[in-house]
Amino acid sequence: MIIEVLYPSLANLYGETTAIAYLRQCLPQAEIIPTEINEEPAFVTKPVNMVFLGGMTENTQELVLEKLLPYKKHIQDVIERQIVFLALSNAMELFGEYIEKEDGTKIQALGLFPTYAKRHMDVRYNSLVLGQMEGFKLLGFKSQFSDSYGDNSQNYLFQVLRGSGLNPGSKLEGLRRHNFMATYLLGPMLVLNPAFTKYILKLLGAEVEQLPYEASLQEAFNRRLAEFEDQNTRY
Amino acid sequence: MKKTWRFRLAMLIGKMAMFAQKVLGMNATYFPGKLAIRICPDFLGQIEKPPMVIGVTGTNGKTTCANLIGNILVDQGYDVISNKMGSNINAGIASTLISGSSITGKAKHAVAVLEIDERSSRKIYSYIQPQWVLCTNLFRDTVTREAHPEFVFQLISESLPAETKLVLNADDLISSRLAPNNDRVYYSIERMPSDTEVCENIVNDMRLCPVCHEPLHFEYVRHHHIGKAHCEHCGFASPASQYEAAVDMASGVMTLEGTTYPLMGDSVFNAYNILAVVVLLREFGLSGKKISASLQKTQIVKSRYSSEVIDGVEVVTHMAKGKNAIACSCVFDYVRKEPGSKEIVLILDDYFDRKNSSENTCWYYDTDFEFLADPSIKRIIVGGVRAWDLKVRLLIAGVSEESIICTPSEADTPSLVQLDADRIFILHELYLTGAAMTVRNQIADRLRAGERQKKGEMPHDH
Repeated sequence: MIIEVLYPSLANLYGETTAIAYLRQCLPQAEIIPTEINEEPAFVTKPVNMVFLGGMTENTQELVLEKLLPYKKHIQDVIERQIVFLALSNAMELFGEYIEKEDGTKIQALGLFPTYAKRHMDVRYNSLVLGQMEGFKLLGFKSQFSDSYGDNSQNYLFQVLRGSGLNPGSKLEGLRRHNFMATYLLGPMLVLNPAFTKYILKLLGAEVEQLPYEASLQEAFNRRLAEFEDQNTRY
Repeated sequence: MKKTWRFRLAMLIGKMAMFAQKVLGMNATYFPGKLAIRICPDFLGQIEKPPMVIGVTGTNGKTTCANLIGNILVDQGYDVISNKMGSNINAGIASTLISGSSITGKAKHAVAVLEIDERSSRKIYSYIQPQWVLCTNLFRDTVTREAHPEFVFQLISESLPAETKLVLNADDLISSRLAPNNDRVYYSIERMPSDTEVCENIVNDMRLCPVCHEPLHFEYVRHHHIGKAHCEHCGFASPASQYEAAVDMASGVMTLEGTTYPLMGDSVFNAYNILAVVVLLREFGLSGKKISASLQKTQIVKSRYSSEVIDGVEVVTHMAKGKNAIACSCVFDYVRKEPGSKEIVLILDDYFDRKNSSENTCWYYDTDFEFLADPSIKRIIVGGVRAWDLKVRLLIAGVSEESIICTPSEADTPSLVQLDADRIFILHELYLTGAAMTVRNQIADRLRAGERQKKGEMPHDH
């Protein structure tokens, strides 16, 4: 199994490095390919099973788009071939139509989903998120300088029970097509959500009975869930 | 600048608020300035500043550096005002300047030493033009506020007044590039025995060249992105330093330009703080001899570190600033490198979030908990509502499950300490310093009561 981590020296702002270390512990046999920004993505030439892209700075978003735009057809192909793709935090915005800066200028994005992002660099939006995805609950954190707009009603990742989705007025979070999944949730969402991690492993054909430290992960999840479901908890 | 009626009213109200807070026994650190700015939005611009203004900013070490600079200047006979008792945002600085001004807005002091919050740069530097700004470093900090170093870098860089001379750390590949058109001096520390060739930390925000994005070649790494590097592809390199110090941790001294200075601690972080202070004051005009003499009389604030040997066990409290992956990683690195066996009490909850929210813990995953998977560490007792999240992080880091004990309240941690190690480290969040001191005192009481010897543990010499 091959897992490609795109731009790990840059797209790693919110704990992604350790999230990948945990994924490595879940899949000790997997080959993990780190692709740096000046390198050609492995998915162009290799039979990767999963692609991971984490959160990055706003300038890095522009750099990454410059690097990925020439591979738009390859990315479409990766998605259509149902390869697992997980994009976290503001990496999600790269797959919409464009990112609008505060001065109104637009940065062309990959245009794979009918959404767009708007930046607000003077306001850091922070929130907890509790969601429902297929048969399990998901929890996580958002911390961002932008929101996304547009219609994701046909291709959202999960329904938001508390907190917000693509933007403060939305209850549908993230983007989904086949096994491509993108969400504003930050890096450690795999560690925070053992059910989601198992779901990913199942998509990879590497279903396991027990995740590493699963009892501890589940205990932490249960305690956190109780906080997230508490009506007195400030989101 | 002509003073408006709004300014005069704001000054009057600010002075009255300050007086009222003093009468009530409160620290007038923030509120009077906040009121004044609300009444007169350009209050900071209209209030007269002391003839000399020193700004101190950066992710880590700015409080220590600002306090040391202020103390040394006072020791050398300067008439100084500082915000060491107050907040470092615009309202805190306004409060400081109100307290240091007459009712008409005239400055009463010769020098202002101002610790300046990075995120408040725009609101402060628009009105205050320091002659010198020391930036200690720029690292990842609280994700929910500071976002990422590039954001803070741009904010400071774009806000700094063009006339301000910068005192910068040449070994920090981020902050050394601030405001490239400003006059500047650089300081650095010569290669140290503890330097490595490869970064051992999870986070290194300068793995790639900022110009061409090819991998940077580090001649040595001190921690995270601190070190000396160059790009073999485009020629980008760490800047040359005008003040290069030699640090001897074993002897606790630093030598610069032939003068020796006490280090006041045995961490690299601290050595950089001392060097930064010395260089700023050298630029200010003090001789090395005078700075060294004053440093000998100064102490670092005790709430951040304490140590006492009781019944052969050293009990240490050490602040590990919560939500700050870099600061915690450096503390963990320090602890693992201390000699002897250790027990650790971790109290890292965010004080505010645990009252009414649920802490964003993504910073755990940028923090080198791996340093705690060290054979010298016998046990880690985690106290607080996030104990189980920390347990997961420790397990991923390679700490064995048997050596992790969780309890939902830090108040329960003293009874879980086994007293079977040479050292007990209580590593705590800034806002839980009081709780950590209670934990420390209870552990100390157990040791003084002879519990260690009752358990058959032999005392050790330190």
